[in-house]
Amino acid sequence: MSKPDYVEIVEEIFYKTKEKKTEEFKYVGKDVVRWDAISKISGQPVYTADLLRFIKNPVFVYSVRAKYAHARIKGLDVSDALKYPGVLAVLTARDIPGINDVGYVIPDQPLIADRKVRFIGDTVALVVAESLENAREAGELVSVDYEPLKVYLDPLEIIDPETLQEKPHELIHDERGSDILTRYKIRVGDVEKAFKEAAVVVENKYETPFQEHAYIEPEAAIAIPEADGGVTIYAKTQCPFDTRKAVANVLGLPFNMVRVIAPALGGGFGGAEDVGNEIAAKAALAAIRFKRPAVLLHTREESIIGHTKRHRTISWYRHAASRDGTLLGVEAKIILDKGAYASLGPFVAWRAVVHSTGPYKVRNAKVDVVAVYTNKIPGGAFRGFGNPQVTFPVERQMDILAEELGMDPVEFRLKNILRNGDRTVHGQLLDHGVGLEEAIKKAVELSGWYEKRRLYASLKGPVRRGIGIAIFYHGNSIGAEGADYSSVSVIIQRDGSIVFRTGLTDMGQGAIQGLINILAEVLGVPPHYIKVELADTSATPDAGPTVASRSTAMGGNATLVAAYKLRKRLDQLAASLLGCKSPDDVVIEAPKVYCRDDPSHTITWRELVEQAFWKGVPLQEFGYYRAPPAEWDEETGTGAPYFTYTYGAIVSDVEVDLETGLVRVKEATTVYDIGRVVNRTGAELHAIGGYIQGMGYALMEDLYYDSEGRLLNTNLSTYHIPTALDTPEKFNVYFVEAGYYHAPFGAKGLGEPSIVAIAPSIANAVANALRSREANKLVSKHPLTPDYVYSIIKKAGVKP
Amino acid sequence: MVKVSLTVNGVKYDLDVPPTERLLDTLRNRLGISSVKEGCGRGECGSCIVLVNGNPVHSCLTLTSRLDGAEVTTLEGLAPQGKLHAIQVAFIEARGVQCGFCTPGFIMITKALLDRVKEPSEKEIRRWLSSVLCRCGSYPLYFEAVKRAAKYIKEGKIYFDEKEVREKYHLKVLAR
Ligand code: FES
Ligand code: FES
Repeated sequence: MSKPDYVEIVEEIFYKTKEKKTEEFKYVGKDVVRWDAISKISGQPVYTADLLRFIKNPVFVYSVRAKYAHARIKGLDVSDALKYPGVLAVLTARDIPGINDVGYVIPDQPLIADRKVRFIGDTVALVVAESLENAREAGELVSVDYEPLKVYLDPLEIIDPETLQEKPHELIHDERGSDILTRYKIRVGDVEKAFKEAAVVVENKYETPFQEHAYIEPEAAIAIPEADGGVTIYAKTQCPFDTRKAVANVLGLPFNMVRVIAPALGGGFGGAEDVGNEIAAKAALAAIRFKRPAVLLHTREESIIGHTKRHRTISWYRHAASRDGTLLGVEAKIILDKGAYASLGPFVAWRAVVHSTGPYKVRNAKVDVVAVYTNKIPGGAFRGFGNPQVTFPVERQMDILAEELGMDPVEFRLKNILRNGDRTVHGQLLDHGVGLEEAIKKAVELSGWYEKRRLYASLKGPVRRGIGIAIFYHGNSIGAEGADYSSVSVIIQRDGSIVFRTGLTDMGQGAIQGLINILAEVLGVPPHYIKVELADTSATPDAGPTVASRSTAMGGNATLVAAYKLRKRLDQLAASLLGCKSPDDVVIEAPKVYCRDDPSHTITWRELVEQAFWKGVPLQEFGYYRAPPAEWDEETGTGAPYFTYTYGAIVSDVEVDLETGLVRVKEATTVYDIGRVVNRTGAELHAIGGYIQGMGYALMEDLYYDSEGRLLNTNLSTYHIPTALDTPEKFNVYFVEAGYYHAPFGAKGLGEPSIVAIAPSIANAVANALRSREANKLVSKHPLTPDYVYSIIKKAGVKP
Repeated sequence: MVKVSLTVNGVKYDLDVPPTERLLDTLRNRLGISSVKEGCGRGECGSCIVLVNGNPVHSCLTLTSRLDGAEVTTLEGLAPQGKLHAIQVAFIEARGVQCGFCTPGFIMITKALLDRVKEPSEKEIRRWLSSVLCRCGSYPLYFEAVKRAAKYIKEGKIYFDEKEVREKYHLKVLAR
């Protein structure tokens, strides 16, 4: 079977530039000032809520939320609310013209609860009013007759951790007949035998917390009714095409009657994946009904209560190793605390199982991942997507094993990691760039690992220092989750300027800049010729969701393909205009175009474009790329789940105050193998920003519920994220470039990888600082808050 | 309603506002000044910080009705028409901008800091900047931006021509 042309193009460019150093490119890997930097330092970019000033005569939509975490709805009385000044309507489940569901992966989540509520945050009615204040106040008057049901906050009340069987209980999802959402497993080799033969076995229980995205821009949606009965919605969403689908389903409209535009996003981190659907649908419902623009704005509290989180997990890990430090087998049970709805949970659980044994050579594994519903805010997508939750226990286990074996954690890892030509636990052959060894060695060098390990071991006094490493791998893009494609369009205007369109969004981390750099490099034009349009379901091509670290590799490939095809045509034309020997001799260094052997004889880029216009050479191109299909066997957990992996090694250097349990990160070293650096500024910001977000996850972030399922920390004064004062004093950032042949110039993703191994590296550093075998085992969950660390210090009897 | 006369970015406004109206809403909804962001409405995130008579305040916690005669400066008023302030240029050069939602708050707090301390220490920079939250985690680059801005101001380079800045920086390769 012959390869699709887009695969050939990507391969051709990869092999042509394989030996080229990144410094030798013109724009790829350079610090190009991002396309929106000047507007951002001027306060000019338009985030969704900023559009309000252009909107006339709007109605406001407010969500009335459940007061119980688990209850049947026996009745709903909206009459008092309707009488409130300014109120136009109170919409309930009955007012939904299409399907009352916004479930992302499976249809388990009503937009407006009808029969029962499953967490405090479920929407029971929408008040539509002339002002937001009116709508909020009237919301208090909606009275719901609830029949409270037993509230389940702990997944272990629902599932038996021994047998992993569901216990008898009052079902949260009675309509599904079970509160087990999904199960995934790996069954490879002979685990029993491996453990029998092992010289050392290490086992422990681990917990990772919920994490709130806390993007500084709260959610907003503005829906505008269209004359044809359709609707245009501006909304905070990472995935406008998914949002369109959800809205169309709720409204009962064909997709082409719903237009979703994603304005500038003030952060997303995965959180703007499904909440976008919900807020857009709510606003659209009101806009269609009242034929007026409808505005929905979340306060911080509504944001925290109303959007999904990183899943909490509880896990049990057992590792077996031989005396010489070879890993023999892994056994693990991982329970995902799902919260009330599936959201992206099935995919998160799958990513967790795929990565559950870490970037190591493992021949014998028995792993189970189970996602269990509870009456809490649903878990969903968050940078890392199931991988941080398994990398924490795996990397803690590695350090404990190393201690048991009397080995240095780095040496122990180097003995067992995946290298080129190895097979993953799933049996996937790694036939290209595995830069993990190089990443570890570089991280060791940059952090001063060995000197510090030695030095810190001898420090006296109440303030200890510790240094820890954690490594990981992360499958790029969506793998076996679904159809994996991407597309862009590039239109050269008659004046030579360029319009670039893609349905991928920029959450703020600058992924789009990577695409600009690729386009500029291939076409031979400076990046400032290029204008990026907002992702818009009616104007930009569907590029699949902006998730899973796929923009650079997948969007980059589509960009590369479009640019390549345009360039070929223009080279042909330029060769004939200039009389070059062959089209391959054409050099485009816009504004100059010339033949390689005669740089003095030039035409301008604009002249070339003008000639193309008159000679019928098309100046627009569509770029499409489809990833090779992923393979996954449900029974054994084998196959080739992702087409490539990003690798990394993180070293954290911390200070632990034995008298207070307070942990501070002093220095952070991050080394990632991302195949090729395409957007240097963006890559570094990922490395640093991802570290800081991961440090929050490691040290301070968690959700606290009361016994009835009410979230206690619903704002930023109680949900703490790192501030300027928590920022480490020093960052060492380095990139390894072990290219991937099916990616633009070899580039792999960094969006999610940048958070995956931060928490375990910090936990390993804390354990190192405590210098006690017992304490090493006790560091088994995070956040490592002062009281938790202090309790470990006391329990393990660590003395200054 | 309360009558207030207010100078915002050098322009005088005579307003009739409800006694409980927040400065944030006056700026965003009445005057169309959109650099002022609402991230929490509770004085926690700092994305709404503006200068009132030169002092940094959370506009989400400030009532407009109390500001009769006050002078308010937002990011839009940092430099004269057609110019950019050294702090803004420093923020481009330091490469820290990500989603940008926090950026106006950081620039305004930097202005307040540099108005008071010409060459702030690392510790002072961290302390001042800790009043604004950045979830994208750009802090270290923002510290760098403050230091660059201080240097520019010390050299007397306070305003930069906006067109020139655009020419020099918009999608241009930055040297390290
Ligand atoms: S909006 Fe004022 S501090 Fe957050
Ligand atoms: S750049 Fe996104 S919050 Fe700071």
